Amino acid sequence: MATRLQFENSCEVGVFSKLTNAYCLVAIGGSENFYSTFEGELADVIPVVKTSIGGTGIIGRLCAGNKNGLLLPHTTTDQELQQLRNSLPDQVVVQRIEERLSALGNCIACNDHVALTHTDLDRETEEMIADVLGVEVFRQTIAGNILVGSYCSFSNRGGLVHPHTSIEDLDELSTLLQVPLVAGTVNRGSEVIAAGLTVNDWTAFCGSDTTATELSVIESVFKLREAQPSAIVDEMRKSLIDSYV
Amino acid sequence: MPRKPTGRHPLMKPQPFSFSPFGRSVARVASAYKLKGQMPGSKFHSKNSPNTPGNGFVNHALEDGSEKSESSEEEGFEGVIQADFSFFDPKPDDFHGVKPLLGAYLDDKQWDLSGFVDLILSQITVGTVVKIENNEDDGLYSVVTALNLGRYKDHKCIMEIKEFLLKVCQEKEVLENLRSFVVEQAHDVGLLVTQRVANLPPQLLPPLYDALFDEVSWATEDEPTEELRNSFRFKFYLLVSRIYKNKNANQERRPNSSSDEAIIYIKPEDEIFHKLSSWSFSFPLRTQQVATHELKNYRLVGLVMAMDANKVSTFRQLLKSLINEE
Repeated sequence: MATRLQFENSCEVGVFSKLTNAYCLVAIGGSENFYSTFEGELADVIPVVKTSIGGTGIIGRLCAGNKNGLLLPHTTTDQELQQLRNSLPDQVVVQRIEERLSALGNCIACNDHVALTHTDLDRETEEMIADVLGVEVFRQTIAGNILVGSYCSFSNRGGLVHPHTSIEDLDELSTLLQVPLVAGTVNRGSEVIAAGLTVNDWTAFCGSDTTATELSVIESVFKLREAQPSAIVDEMRKSLIDSYV
Repeated sequence: MPRKPTGRHPLMKPQPFSFSPFGRSVARVASAYKLKGQMPGSKFHSKNSPNTPGNGFVNHALEDGSEKSESSEEEGFEGVIQADFSFFDPKPDDFHGVKPLLGAYLDDKQWDLSGFVDLILSQITVGTVVKIENNEDDGLYSVVTALNLGRYKDHKCIMEIKEFLLKVCQEKEVLENLRSFVVEQAHDVGLLVTQRVANLPPQLLPPLYDALFDEVSWATEDEPTEELRNSFRFKFYLLVSRIYKNKNANQERRPNSSSDEAIIYIKPEDEIFHKLSSWSFSFPLRTQQVATHELKNYRLVGLVMAMDANKVSTFRQLLKSLINEE
């Protein structure tokens, strides 16, 4: 299910939060409402961690992560790094990387299997991404924009991209990512998808300006309507258990 | 048909529009050049003249001997950016431009800001947005409008504004005035909403406010129904703004008064409004402001002012003389 909310008076919830299948990061400094909305949806399933990065609240745009790991920019302080290492599950590798393009969330879009990155990212960073996040990395642009992390948002089940993406590009990206993609908007026509929306395999959070139409597109492309965290585990169980003895 | 401006008030002088300290220093240089003549009111109906050539200053004689020769050498920038600002009627597409300007209107309270922006953009007859002509970026630099508190009293955003103002007003004498404004006399009160980017050239202010008050008076004649016409016959204007107050304001004036002023007005027209207002009150703000060195003795507070509508012409004159002497 998709939830609409605000961070203070801003609808850019993807800036102040980062949601993955294994954890959720939320910025310090909003009203308790913001944090408790996330808690309400996620508390029993994954940890919701309040944090800052480099003393700022724009954590969603500064870090990139999935269920395997979390990449932090060089501006992250030692205390923040330690706090994140302590609060996140052990299987999540938390790594601070030296990359000139420090807004990793704007440069990298990823799910648990594939990542799209800014074309000018360092070679070492690309290797780090493949290593820490356990993904295959593709340098791409979206509708001519190099900030792929800002203009698209995708999970393991579907993705939403910049509204001006051409059909050919959509097909090409969809083949690369192996998920269905749709070109659309969030927050009443905003093209900066990842700033207005944060999503994982069973739930999404978007800004309160998002219209009902946009919300229904989000719920359908990310397949959120029937999605429950347990549903995913059950599906996997069916394929794992061969026979009952 | 409606005597509305065609939305063209191009300023033919170069105007910087960058958001940087450099932009401010360029604005100071640009203000050293005076307009050749007063901008005639009849310009409302004419299409703007053909674009000035790329190098800005060509059209204007440098009559002003006191021209400052600040060279724009910061950040390696060679010339001055020219921009033609244009005034437009608000339209629904301006939502994403207007909303960030009004984000801090009611301090940090979470309220129906989107509804408020929608309301402003739906009132086409009175209200102006400032954009740059022919710019694909569609950046919005200022919004000005006047909303009748009585006409829109059932809108959630207006109710929340009233509730907020009544709550933050801590001065008892003024509270009664405020209460009568927002409850009994709401039909005669216009909420003057005006917000802009911090370094918008001040030369735009007189035409901007002229446009607003002219539109209000035209609306009293041009609106299709009697009720709408009456809704623009404001008797009072109410403004919510912000100022810097000296933290030591309560101390007694020493004989050799320090150069510190009691109040610093962020927007120059606020000083004129405050002087002409019939009553006003300030209220503390919860959002923290970054303390710069020059402002270390000052605290940012909200200011609410009420002005009689018959003082509008005085306001317009004072504003023109204030801007022209800068």
